[in-house]
Amino acid sequence: MTSLAEQTRTGAPPEPGGRRRSRAARGRPRLYLSYGQDMALLNTRPKRTAVIGLVILAALLPFSMPDDLLHLLALGFVATIGAIGLNLVTGYAGQISLGHAFFLGVGAYTAAVISGDPDGRTIGFGITFLPLWLLAAGLVAGLTGLVVAPLAVRLRGLYLAIVTLGLVFIGLHIFREWDSVTGGPGLGRPGAIPEMFGINFAVDGPAMTRDQKLYLLTLVLLLIFALPAANLARSKVGRAFAAVRDRDMAASIIGVSLTRYKLLAFAISSFYAGCAGALLTMVIGFFDPTSWNLQLSIEYLAMVLIGGAGTISGSIMGALFITLLPRLTRELPALMPFISDSVTDMPNVFQVETMLYGLLIIGFLIFEPRGLYGIWVRCRNYWRSWPFSY
Amino acid sequence: MKARTGLAVAVAAGLALTLTACRGQDDEVSTDVGVTADACPSAVNTDNGCIYLGVISDLTTGPFAPLAVPITDAQKAFWKRVNDAGGIGGYDIDVTTYVRDNKYDPQVHNQVYQEIKGKVLALAQTLGSPTTAAILDDLKANNIVSAPASWTSGWDFEDVIIESGANYCFESMNAVDYAADNFQAKSVMAVHWPGDYGADAAAGVKVAADARGLTFTDVETQPGPDNQAGAIQEIVTKKPDLVIITTGPTDAATVIGNAAAAGYTGKFIGTSPTWNPALLESPAADAFRALYLQSGPWQSFGANTPGHEAMRAAVGNVQPNDGYTAGWVWSYPLKAALEKAADDGDLTRTGLLNAVKSLTTVDYEGMLPPEAGNYAPGGASAYRASVISKVDDTAPTGVSVVKDLFVGPTAQAYDLSKPCWP
Repeated sequence: MTSLAEQTRTGAPPEPGGRRRSRAARGRPRLYLSYGQDMALLNTRPKRTAVIGLVILAALLPFSMPDDLLHLLALGFVATIGAIGLNLVTGYAGQISLGHAFFLGVGAYTAAVISGDPDGRTIGFGITFLPLWLLAAGLVAGLTGLVVAPLAVRLRGLYLAIVTLGLVFIGLHIFREWDSVTGGPGLGRPGAIPEMFGINFAVDGPAMTRDQKLYLLTLVLLLIFALPAANLARSKVGRAFAAVRDRDMAASIIGVSLTRYKLLAFAISSFYAGCAGALLTMVIGFFDPTSWNLQLSIEYLAMVLIGGAGTISGSIMGALFITLLPRLTRELPALMPFISDSVTDMPNVFQVETMLYGLLIIGFLIFEPRGLYGIWVRCRNYWRSWPFSY
Repeated sequence: MKARTGLAVAVAAGLALTLTACRGQDDEVSTDVGVTADACPSAVNTDNGCIYLGVISDLTTGPFAPLAVPITDAQKAFWKRVNDAGGIGGYDIDVTTYVRDNKYDPQVHNQVYQEIKGKVLALAQTLGSPTTAAILDDLKANNIVSAPASWTSGWDFEDVIIESGANYCFESMNAVDYAADNFQAKSVMAVHWPGDYGADAAAGVKVAADARGLTFTDVETQPGPDNQAGAIQEIVTKKPDLVIITTGPTDAATVIGNAAAAGYTGKFIGTSPTWNPALLESPAADAFRALYLQSGPWQSFGANTPGHEAMRAAVGNVQPNDGYTAGWVWSYPLKAALEKAADDGDLTRTGLLNAVKSLTTVDYEGMLPPEAGNYAPGGASAYRASVISKVDDTAPTGVSVVKDLFVGPTAQAYDLSKPCWP
């Protein structure tokens, strides 16, 4: 393979018709004619077309979908930002973190405090300018991540998982007790208020409803957050992450500084988590301090695993899947009329819905351990060699 | 190229416009959302139209599922009885199509609410305070009247929430007044969970203790039987004459059983969600028989008012549980409001909200007096009477009334100009 690649890079003649060398040869999607093309973010034409098509489709959706689905998709987009963050530290750099819920919470409270009502029951500074509180949420969470990261330099594998697990419990305790910031358990506080250029995204407007506005806002933010992550993954930093993940000792022997890259992975991941936490409460509108619990961390790990560890598109698919799954399980029992919808019967639709959630996740990992990304790769390979697929 | 872009934009805009048009609702004079001329899916009166009401409750894995399931079941029975009697204003009421499980999580609550809000006129149940707070702004913005399944004093200040019975704050004031009058209690301790339930009750205890000259101690305790050691220690060392306990049944059994075993002989009064008949089979049963009284917003399952009797007949042969009583009582104001709105010829969301605001009495069929259903804005109209019950092995839910609905002097004099807590 190497010799073939060498050949194509050096020996392939320029295409006729004066085309740029970076264009792929027609019908040979994996034939790269230049290093620049090999390294490009969207390195093949189908990829380019598909991504642009998807973005246009996503941008048109709010005008044809009911508000409740838009609300759910907006939540999914925000979860995606958080999942990308976890994927950077767990999927790319191989550091298992169960503490993601804590960083989400830190970001959420930073944003809520900055944008909160100054006359409200909980502390608030009334600065509702979205880029400001979003950035602050990310930075505060990122700094927290940086403080925690030295632990990761000393520990790895299960030990790191246990230590980050401790973070969730410490965080939960602080969130429960710090009533002036969090509102206290059983009461909570309103989420961050998104305002930008005179538009308040959290209320129904004359032209668009709240959910339509939030959907478009989160879509744009998802693109803004996903692009640098994808960029990071294919650059020097991304390769260093992968080296640390695959064998940290080997990585440090070839000159990858473990301290530096583990710190970096945690800081960036926490930055993403902080932003996601802030946006999450913005979409939901109200949150309780007990929400930032272990279950949330596990959910994000599930997004990364189900989507496919170590891929950005996998994070997107996984996060959307996990966010939409409860809705799906609520719709499924309608197809099974033999299950009672009366709350006093056993089993009823509500119990089935709760169990289905777990069963689907188990089933997924058994039948497709590479996640949604793996399914996508299989489909792609099938059609690539069609009609001679085996 | 320019032309093509222009065309694409035009097509996209056109598409957007038509699709936006599809999102709108039909404009009729007297109804808007959640009311159809077609009969309900399982209609009793097939000629009637249908009013859809949503139910968001804690049905499976949440902490209040043992209470929420009977509440939901009782509401189903309540509205079936209304339909059997001919419905309201030519409409049957459906509370079974849009039932959702919130798992007692504000985020899930909000999601399922978004799912059903475009399809229901009002909410027949929205369970929990933090969960309801997650949708409260939206309820207010869309004028969606909702019956809560909690007794927080904050509900007295929300027009869209139609609560029933005394809130935790008044219930605790009455409990302290009762103990001061009947056991000459000189000191009181509030042992409570954090949050809207426990802290609201504790706020009432403090008000009453100040008013009656009792010494007051506040002990907050986290949910979970293994978290109660601190509270037990406090009770045993400080020996207050009276403990007002606002926790769940399991925690109450831990606290009361262990305090009694350590020689505590004062009285416990628990707010209504503290009690569960199964406690009489627990190791703490004797301690409960000796020391425990229960306060509540109305009489329990086995009482002899026409409303209680109708409820028992409607829910059929079930394990007695005051979840049924609560679900049943909470439904009366919504029924009264729907009848009023139907009489006014305005079954829109705004029409229903106006009907609620104009309600000064509700026929609770004797479960509560009619004036308990006064929904004039503000705290002055809030209903303040509650009951005190004692443990009674022969009663269906293990408690029977010792003092029927009464307002103590503290609650009577209290100026509820804002929620008791926070």
